[in-house]
Amino acid sequence: MTQKELFHIAQDWFQQQGWKPFPFQKETWKAFLTGKHGLLNAPTGSGKTYALWFPIVLNYIKQNPDYKNKHKKGLKAIWITPLRALSQEIKQSAERITEDLGSQMTVGIRTGDTSTKERAKQRTAMPDLLITTPESLQLLLSSKDYKKIFKNCSAIVVDEWHELLGTKRGIQMELGLSRLKTISSDLRIWGISATIGNLEQARQVLLGPTSPELENSVMVRANLQKKITVKSIIPKTMETFPWRGHLGLHLLDEVVPIINNSKTTLLFTNTRSQCEIWFQKILEKYPEFAGEMAMHHGSVNKETRLWVEQAIRNESLKAVICTSSLDLGVDFAPVETVIQIGGPKGVARFLQRAGRSGHRPGKESVIHFLPTHAMELIEASALQVAVKENAVEDRLPYLNSYDVLLQYLTTLAVSDGFYPDEIHPEIQQTFCYQGITEEQWQWLLNFLVMGSQSLSSYDEYKKVEVEADGKFKVNNRGLAMRHRFQIGTIVGDATISVRYQKGGYIGSIEEYFISKLTQGDVFTFAGRNLEFIRMKGMQAHVRNSNKKTNKVPSWMGGRLSFSAQMSELLRQELYKAPPPNPLPKGKGKLISEELKALQPIFDKQRQESIVPKPDEFLIETFKTRDGYHHIFYPFEGRAVHEAMSSLLSYRISLLSPITASLAFNDYGFEMLSDKPIDIQAVLDNDLFTTDYMLADLQKSLNSNEMARRKFRDIAVISGMVFTGYPEKGVKMKHLQSSSQLLFDVFRDYEPDNLLFQQAFTETFEHQLEEGRLRLALERIAQQNIIWKNCEKPTPFSFPIITDRLREKLSSEKLADRIKRMTKILMK
Amino acid sequence: MSHKIQVHKQSFSLDPTGAIFWEEKSCLLLSDVHLGKVSHFRKYGAAVPKHAIHKNYLLMDKLVETYQPFEICFLGDLFHSSLNREWVLFENWVARTPAKITLITGNHDIIGPEKFESLEIEQLEECVTEEFLLTHHPEEREGFFNLCGHIHPAVRLQGFGRQRLKLPCFFKTENQMILPAFGEFTGNHVLKPKELDEIFVIAEQQVIQI
Repeated sequence: MTQKELFHIAQDWFQQQGWKPFPFQKETWKAFLTGKHGLLNAPTGSGKTYALWFPIVLNYIKQNPDYKNKHKKGLKAIWITPLRALSQEIKQSAERITEDLGSQMTVGIRTGDTSTKERAKQRTAMPDLLITTPESLQLLLSSKDYKKIFKNCSAIVVDEWHELLGTKRGIQMELGLSRLKTISSDLRIWGISATIGNLEQARQVLLGPTSPELENSVMVRANLQKKITVKSIIPKTMETFPWRGHLGLHLLDEVVPIINNSKTTLLFTNTRSQCEIWFQKILEKYPEFAGEMAMHHGSVNKETRLWVEQAIRNESLKAVICTSSLDLGVDFAPVETVIQIGGPKGVARFLQRAGRSGHRPGKESVIHFLPTHAMELIEASALQVAVKENAVEDRLPYLNSYDVLLQYLTTLAVSDGFYPDEIHPEIQQTFCYQGITEEQWQWLLNFLVMGSQSLSSYDEYKKVEVEADGKFKVNNRGLAMRHRFQIGTIVGDATISVRYQKGGYIGSIEEYFISKLTQGDVFTFAGRNLEFIRMKGMQAHVRNSNKKTNKVPSWMGGRLSFSAQMSELLRQELYKAPPPNPLPKGKGKLISEELKALQPIFDKQRQESIVPKPDEFLIETFKTRDGYHHIFYPFEGRAVHEAMSSLLSYRISLLSPITASLAFNDYGFEMLSDKPIDIQAVLDNDLFTTDYMLADLQKSLNSNEMARRKFRDIAVISGMVFTGYPEKGVKMKHLQSSSQLLFDVFRDYEPDNLLFQQAFTETFEHQLEEGRLRLALERIAQQNIIWKNCEKPTPFSFPIITDRLREKLSSEKLADRIKRMTKILMK
Repeated sequence: MSHKIQVHKQSFSLDPTGAIFWEEKSCLLLSDVHLGKVSHFRKYGAAVPKHAIHKNYLLMDKLVETYQPFEICFLGDLFHSSLNREWVLFENWVARTPAKITLITGNHDIIGPEKFESLEIEQLEECVTEEFLLTHHPEEREGFFNLCGHIHPAVRLQGFGRQRLKLPCFFKTENQMILPAFGEFTGNHVLKPKELDEIFVIAEQQVIQI
């Protein structure tokens, strides 16, 4: 069949639906059918699934002209989705095509939710089109004779590639693809990504920077212009608006008219506990919403989530309070309005959420921004500019993550075994491991086999064995089983499932929260008040309760940092802060509504301190009953502040021993100490210099917890710590302590271990963003440092000093510290 | 630097390694050493640095050299799990240590008694000496002062400037002393002291009463 005839089939189908294919869809079909690989840049809900399912099916038709009568069995294409919740939707769109075209092709899903029975069935007869996750793909690679499964696979599509890029799941994908390139004889690799700053690099990472696949690839851009309107919800009186906080409940009443004026509204919160609280509070104050409002987050059980999603489509809900769980996928046409509660931290995320409304092509998207404290109004103002300029962030891919590679090699050793000479060149073609040296490769192989770099007689280390012909293989069934359980790169806290006594599943909560409950305690979860009865294994039994409570589970999760772009915009907005009242004539127009509303806060700030101008760098110090506060305001985003605070406190400790706790947000950072720090000495000794920055930063890490936490994940991913069988498990506390101890043991005995080193590299590159730190220090060198010794906390300092999540640092002798500590012992 | 205390007119030195030296009896008390833990991990595919194995033996050698005890008494959990090749290292250590060795068995001690017998190590459920009761699990018995382990005790401290510390400790109540875990590579459990309890924390190379 010629390409023209194939195109006709597709176009006819679109016509039958009353649609017209977009140019980007046709472009993708053409590229795919001429054997190209590529990256499709298209937003959610733009018809991207049809851009790729179609050519996959058409390609099968092309190769099997008798397709209507004879079905050729076996896997033909894989669709990777980062969220298994999306798989149903993707399956439906695939089935529409396969059925309407009479292709006889089957579509199947294989994720963590797939039953064992279904999986076994798939093992004997794979569906033609398989929808799966990066983890489940790795699991397939860990099964016997996996090569046969993929032999005739003609395509792999990685959906929402921007979500995977810059994470270890992304590396897992890179590795999986490197294997498939060899074992599938006629494979096309496609990625689908929303707009990010580094799209070209995204394509390189997907296909391999030096690969023939990259050479034979295209970038297709949907270029669907969409109008986005951002409206800030500005408090009527600034005097009573809080200086700190993260819930935003003060503006609850302002939200109600917005919900009433729109068909369906999504309210995005940043955390699951915030989501729970908002849901509860709206219902308390506006009971008339009962039945018309729902909640959606990752810990609510799957049935409820699916029900909510369906209800949005049916237009039977007025409002849904949700978290990032509704960021991706799922086309919700009826959503008219989106409200973002609290700073979204990233422009790309904000745009994505805005795009959830007015989903039909050509429609306008409306997003309301609700600030949770005064300082966030500056953020609101900056977001307006960001959206106008489409200032989206980069997603930084990882390099040389040995932990993921060790896991992958073990996976191959568990299935059919591997020969290093065959796998090495494949690895070198990936982006992540393009720079891996011969020595590092040998180190990893030694580590797999001996658990060290040399043999010794009393050692009983057992994992991968080398067979006579040089094949690396895991022969111990127990080891193999444990490895399969642990495939994955997301290391979360242990979760406990919450159930009614009769067995009804409500959702899952972190063990940390449950461990603080005693029998009879009432807490709010999934929109209900539940009484805790008992723990049973990894389950918490509960019953409904009428008692009121303010206990809401917290989920730790990472805190996001402002991107470089967003920080820059934020500073620019701050510099526009209006001078003290009254406003000079004619100047008012240049200043946004948000900044005008902040006038009372700026005035208050000026009473104690200053609002910094572009050439000023502000330091504030004051004392409260908590201790001596030292606050620095670089306005560079959380990550840079974390690094800078670590660096600075290390340098200060060289002047004289200190003990401090560090807190940071997107505006600045604090060093809280039980003794005042001599700021004049900090300035006189030029402690903000970029000289020896890297060396100092490295040394500073030894005295705090950052690298330790990174190491915890690395230890789990590389298989050094076993997290236990699901639902049965080693308690997380145990894991915590064994990886904590492991860190010390490695530091003392094997500091040159690549995995131990990796913890530091990751902290530098991914957490602290060393490159940005240097730029920030260079900028500070150009500024005048203004040190204000204040009587009491300023509005700018408030959100920082009240933050409880802190880094600790000490260069003092333990004995000296203990002497100063109160005899009050705490639990 | 150790810290000396008196109980029932007997002198005890609390050593920063977590051991206690009972001077009148010339007896060294150690609890929860968990030997063989590193090997155990490695046997199950977790590549903990194998050099860490030797650390405990080196520490124990140093203690023997410092205190020159007639007797060494382990208060349980001497070995972490079943027999592995680390036993050879233990045999070596016993051979070069000129003291009588006793083991009060703990919940982790599942290695066959005949193995210990072959090294002339006496094994007991508990040991009573005058008004002192030595056990693995903490016990309260009328008229006795109990020396025990099992808990791996630690305490949290807080100070001005939101400072917090968690440190392993010797935990003494009126009639009981719980020893910290001796072993490298052991976790701990935070206890909340009452008014009259005495706490001796291990801070770097010192034992400090708080």
